[in-house]
Amino acid sequence: MRKIRSIVGPTVVVAVSFACSIAHAQSTVTISGYVKDATNGEALIGANVYVKETLRGAATNVYGYYVLNLEPGKHTLVMSYVGYEDFVQTVDLKSSLKLNIEAQPKVIQAREFEVIGEKEKDSTQGTQMGTVDIDVQRLSTLPALLGEVDILKTIQFLPGVKSNGEGNSGFYVRGGGPDQNLILLDNATVYNASHLFGFFSVFNADAVKNIELIKGGMPANYGGRISSVLDITMKEGNNKGFHGQGGIGLISSRLTFEGPIVKDRGSFIVSGRRTYIDILTKPFLKDSPNFSGTGYYFYDLNAKANYKFSDKDRVFLSGYFGRDVFTFAGSNSGDPAFKIPWGNTTVSARWNHVFGPKLFLNTTATFSDYSFAFDAKQDQFAFKLFSGIKDYGMKVDLAHYPNARHHLKYGGQYIYHVYTTSTVEVSSGDTEFDITTPPKLHAHESALYVMDDFDVTDLLRVNVGLRLTRFDHVGPYTLYQLDDRGRSVGQEDLASGKHISSYMALEPRLSARYTLGPNSSVKASFNRGQQYVHLASFSSIALPTDVWIPSSSKVKPQIGTQYSAGYFQDLFEDVVEASVEVYYKDFKNLIEYAEGAQPQGNGNTNYDAQLVFGDGYSYGAEFFLKRRTGKVNGWLGYTWSKTMRQFPDINEGREFASRWDRRNDLSVVLAYDRNKRWSFGATFVYSTGQAVTLPVNRYFIEGRLVSEYTERNGYRMAPYHRLDLSATLMNKGYRTVKDPLTGEEKEVLRSWRSSWTFGLYNAYNRRNPYFIYFGADGVPSEGTFKVVAKQVSLFSILPSITWNFKF
Amino acid sequence: MELQILMKRLPLFIITAAVLISCEKEITVDLPTTPSKVVVEGVIETGQVPIVLLSRTQSFFEPTTISGLARLYITSATVIVSDGIVTDTLDQVCSSQLTEDQLIAAAAATGISVDLLRQINICAWTDLGGTMVGVEGRSYSLTVIADGRTLTSTTKVPFGIPLDSLWFKLANQRPDDDTLGFLWGTIADPDTAGNAYRWMAKRINAGSDGDAKDASFVAPLFSTFDDRYANGLRFDFAYNRGKVAFSSADDDNNEESGYFKMGDTVVVKFSSIGLPENRFYESFSNNVTSQGDMFSSPANVMSNITGGLGIWAGYGSRLDTVICGP
Repeated sequence: MRKIRSIVGPTVVVAVSFACSIAHAQSTVTISGYVKDATNGEALIGANVYVKETLRGAATNVYGYYVLNLEPGKHTLVMSYVGYEDFVQTVDLKSSLKLNIEAQPKVIQAREFEVIGEKEKDSTQGTQMGTVDIDVQRLSTLPALLGEVDILKTIQFLPGVKSNGEGNSGFYVRGGGPDQNLILLDNATVYNASHLFGFFSVFNADAVKNIELIKGGMPANYGGRISSVLDITMKEGNNKGFHGQGGIGLISSRLTFEGPIVKDRGSFIVSGRRTYIDILTKPFLKDSPNFSGTGYYFYDLNAKANYKFSDKDRVFLSGYFGRDVFTFAGSNSGDPAFKIPWGNTTVSARWNHVFGPKLFLNTTATFSDYSFAFDAKQDQFAFKLFSGIKDYGMKVDLAHYPNARHHLKYGGQYIYHVYTTSTVEVSSGDTEFDITTPPKLHAHESALYVMDDFDVTDLLRVNVGLRLTRFDHVGPYTLYQLDDRGRSVGQEDLASGKHISSYMALEPRLSARYTLGPNSSVKASFNRGQQYVHLASFSSIALPTDVWIPSSSKVKPQIGTQYSAGYFQDLFEDVVEASVEVYYKDFKNLIEYAEGAQPQGNGNTNYDAQLVFGDGYSYGAEFFLKRRTGKVNGWLGYTWSKTMRQFPDINEGREFASRWDRRNDLSVVLAYDRNKRWSFGATFVYSTGQAVTLPVNRYFIEGRLVSEYTERNGYRMAPYHRLDLSATLMNKGYRTVKDPLTGEEKEVLRSWRSSWTFGLYNAYNRRNPYFIYFGADGVPSEGTFKVVAKQVSLFSILPSITWNFKF
Repeated sequence: MELQILMKRLPLFIITAAVLISCEKEITVDLPTTPSKVVVEGVIETGQVPIVLLSRTQSFFEPTTISGLARLYITSATVIVSDGIVTDTLDQVCSSQLTEDQLIAAAAATGISVDLLRQINICAWTDLGGTMVGVEGRSYSLTVIADGRTLTSTTKVPFGIPLDSLWFKLANQRPDDDTLGFLWGTIADPDTAGNAYRWMAKRINAGSDGDAKDASFVAPLFSTFDDRYANGLRFDFAYNRGKVAFSSADDDNNEESGYFKMGDTVVVKFSSIGLPENRFYESFSNNVTSQGDMFSSPANVMSNITGGLGIWAGYGSRLDTVICGP
């Protein structure tokens, strides 16, 4: 214990003693333990454990661990969790007690799950604002593009979260850019969460257990990004018996297998997914000589294992590996040929240790890798572009429950980043062009934090935290001296380990909840964060050519400050939950490529040479209404917001609407369980059209049509709206058996479950704009010349069918 | 260079190829109107008199009729070129004053089609006396007074660098084709950094109508490159055949489009240009090839003209002739 304290430093010690000194003097005892699913041993995240008499309680953490500090005596302990039977036990506490709870799923339902969305009661009771937990299991009955269940597309239905256009899994939170979302898969950073140029996300829903999205009031244990956290936890695997699940869809198939390593002590899960567009289209392309060598596929592999050495020690090892591969080759020797592979790898190893009922330690080592390559050849020319990022990370988190009123967390994090910014190789025959390989960039990112979730009075609860972050860009590095035209006129080689630039910041985080009554509360939060990595993007969609770059002496850290406030109300005996949140967010030091910058333009110079810098802001109001239970459940979210940017070097310094500025945004998600076998889903979205830059004037140079742009993002495309429908038919959940002795007929749960999901994407066939381009007809010299605007829509009405199974 | 165009088009291609379900429709776009600007296309090259064309910007969707086209071109302006010692007010030459032979010469010099020169009055500014010709290594300033505005620019005619070699090579991009190909050149870039080049070609052998296949030098898109990655290197490069914009010629609209053909006699004008001029032509090619697509951020052409748009370019030119043969 003492050792650990010395690692996290004096700040923590001060904070802890502060917390203890104001704690109640009376003696308390602790009841703690894990909450698990009784059928498969999976930890239940966010389950509520509370004392019936006082309604005071706690939610389980990401490992299913809970702690309650209570006065000695008799208490009725209740555990409640969506889709599970309530667990009730009377305890007579004399000293601290360890109580592991095995929760029984509600078997009376044919359904495996009950509601979509967050845990019960937490919205009005917790200090967290703008936080949503999603139960992934339920998603498979909602409509999905081509039947591919996608967790990132589901979070786009939440207020304050915007999609990046048709079919795209990229998301933007409260006016923040795509690089400002911290996407964690079992604590390892995922840098590019999309497959197939954004149409699908890299997360295979079969392997995912829980998703938590934090869009405001980011607690101090998270950092490194300024807009949101998407914390994804992979399933642990069934530690009771061997099971499998899978599905066959229109474009991909999935297979998952899980089981115990040692019953009740350890388990594993392996899950794979691969698309087969290439296999399906190959026969058709054979006859078209221009595309004969063209193919596209992606695949994912998720694996996780855990083992419980004792009640106090448990280790987890998980990994993700995914690749997209696109190839193009003509059938003739002179045709150009491309190969474009890219993908992520993440590995995380974790050790949970319970020091005692009041102190929980989680140590994690992570590795993340994202790489992209573009390999092109034509005749004797060869062109190669590659970029990537590698992270080696270490994280220590301590959860400390000193008494009934305080829940402390403190810890530290360190990441060693290795960046390969856009690296170009070009050759013509034997001549290698002289594009000095930009050296890899090396940086250390570290953080220390302390936070306290603290009941000030019975009505007021605050979560106060501080995060100290530091970023060091170190050598080896070659710094090019540039002239005013951007040409390299000299270079300085900086040795390994030499400090090039350093940044440090103290990030305050504060959120508070004041309970107005048993069913309503108001909340407010303030937080500031710094972000040391940036994504420079050439286009408005998530292309793999986007390059992650670190802060440098020229690229300052992005700074995000958010203020938010909200009112939360439970209605109709907690069946319906309603909330209104308002926020204001301020961004500093955002980056963009300079107008006219090109992906290959960075060779032989500093990686930050083509960037320009500016600021932004966003404000908005989010309305959310959700019905938690019942045959018809789901939610309605509406957001009004405004997101602007201002860069001295863009748009002649005038303020302009951000690419993801959508004034009005409405989404409706509905699920209807008709009976034990049939359930239906519907989703509807409406949003203001995307802001795009269109030319205002034209002129001719050498007879060719040239566009003159005046206002950046000055034009709005038509509004986007779409309705999707789905229907799921389960096989019969029970079979009837006759008891041989009594002759009585009984229903027995089937172990083999299968279902058909029928989907209809864009049910009323709305032609939503994807992009606008211009076609020129006629010949100027004949006086027949005309320019017309054409709007391209991507997906018309699209039916899909998916077969899923589980055993 | 073809790879550059393909790279730019790639995302679009991927998305359409992968999805195959897209559809499009014509829409009406309401755009604000802004005052028009003056556009300069001016060239001064080794041993040649300067030629300057002036036009205006138009609203993006304005339909072009013959009379509208006439409004596009500026027919009254003062154009002054100076090399620092001599200042020369250029002579205005308008197509309505020219004889048929002069029209053909004017078409060759400006790249504007003879048909158009016949139909509407288009003016160019040049030095009819021949006192001002491009000298390599010298800088030239340009002043244009037109439409109530004054535009200025400066360019330099760099020292020309001849091609080491120039040859024709079959493209092998179509089955059973043994006549179509690209032109290849070898260049030895000087040691000093900051050289840039522009490629133009003209086929002088007769086409089916008996006239030379090309009336003027034609530059393909992405016709320039610099030595940023190739400083001091000797290397091969290739160019496809450029098309005159909106060409209705058969060989610009059939399988021969973009290729030189076995038997063609081609004059290649290989010019040294400055970096600002290279930046102009590069951004011009990007602008032309990315009109309205969402995969690249739209960007204006980077002009070297103050007070207007367009280009004032000095060319240090060398000419070579190649006969396309096996």
